[in-house]
Amino acid sequence: MLTADERERYDRQIMLREIGEEGQEKLKRASVFIAGAGGLGSPAAIYLTAAGIGRIRLVDHDRVDRSNLNRQILHWNNDIGRSKVDSAIEKLKKLNPEVQLEAVNETITEANLAQLVAGSDLIVDAMDNLETRYLLNKAALDNDIPFFHGAIYGFEGRAMTIIPGKTACLRCVYRGVMPEEKFPVIGVTPAVIGCIQATEVIKYIVGIGELLTDKLLNYDALNMEFTEFKVKKDPYCEHCGHMKRKE
Amino acid sequence: MSITVNVHQALRNLTNNQATAEVNGTTVGACLADLVRQFPGIESKLFNKQGKLLNYVDIYVNQESSYPEELAKLVKDGDKLSITLMIAGG
Repeated sequence: MLTADERERYDRQIMLREIGEEGQEKLKRASVFIAGAGGLGSPAAIYLTAAGIGRIRLVDHDRVDRSNLNRQILHWNNDIGRSKVDSAIEKLKKLNPEVQLEAVNETITEANLAQLVAGSDLIVDAMDNLETRYLLNKAALDNDIPFFHGAIYGFEGRAMTIIPGKTACLRCVYRGVMPEEKFPVIGVTPAVIGCIQATEVIKYIVGIGELLTDKLLNYDALNMEFTEFKVKKDPYCEHCGHMKRKE
Repeated sequence: MSITVNVHQALRNLTNNQATAEVNGTTVGACLADLVRQFPGIESKLFNKQGKLLNYVDIYVNQESSYPEELAKLVKDGDKLSITLMIAGG
């Protein structure tokens, strides 16, 4: 049930026939896990907070560095040296005090991931390395939690939505490994991809539109082109091959 | 037989900054071999020493993944190949 304040706050999106009051209540009941409070996590967290997600758990082990500030828009100059999740949650609370916001200042590992994602309805992949992305993908599949992938490099970005047991997973698409590296990026690229991830999350929760499932969206900012690459569930996938969705 | 190859941004310094190249071949592997013939510097960015595609390189044919056939996948005149590289930044 929405309060009078919430009806006022979300008035413009409740006006959307695709959302309405029923959709807004679904958003309020949802619990979203965001892995990473950086370039992708900032816009994703801002727009999900503004949209009225009920509970957001934001996880990151890092501290704000001056070199983050060109793109990680939840962190400002006076946050340098602070924990990223503390810096982020402080702004998000000011943006929307109706949302239950939880900061988790931990490194995501295979050992703690099941505990970290427990109670979450959706996982947003806003990480900066492939190894952790694979851990998140596996945890999403194992726990039957929809998974919203995003990644960037320079002026290029990608996004994909994974529904466990139904659609191709991240490991169906990416089979290799890459060394962790310092990557080039300008803030507008993760801004676009983080917003696409947030849009997918909202669509999934409300149950509207067509999701980015079984396709990898590629965003080429230099040429302002969006391309959808079709991908298929791999029966031999290391993570989801022959997996059945839990009923 | 003419196939258009879209070259990933990160590899365009190896194709004289060309975003696309025209190649010939009836399989993905033959098309990439023709690309390497035209732009030899790109070979080590696509293949390992055994001639297999590097595991962070993906080839799409008309925007569909070529996996699992990959190099053996058949192509026809007018097809478009896209060379993509895995990205993981956030």
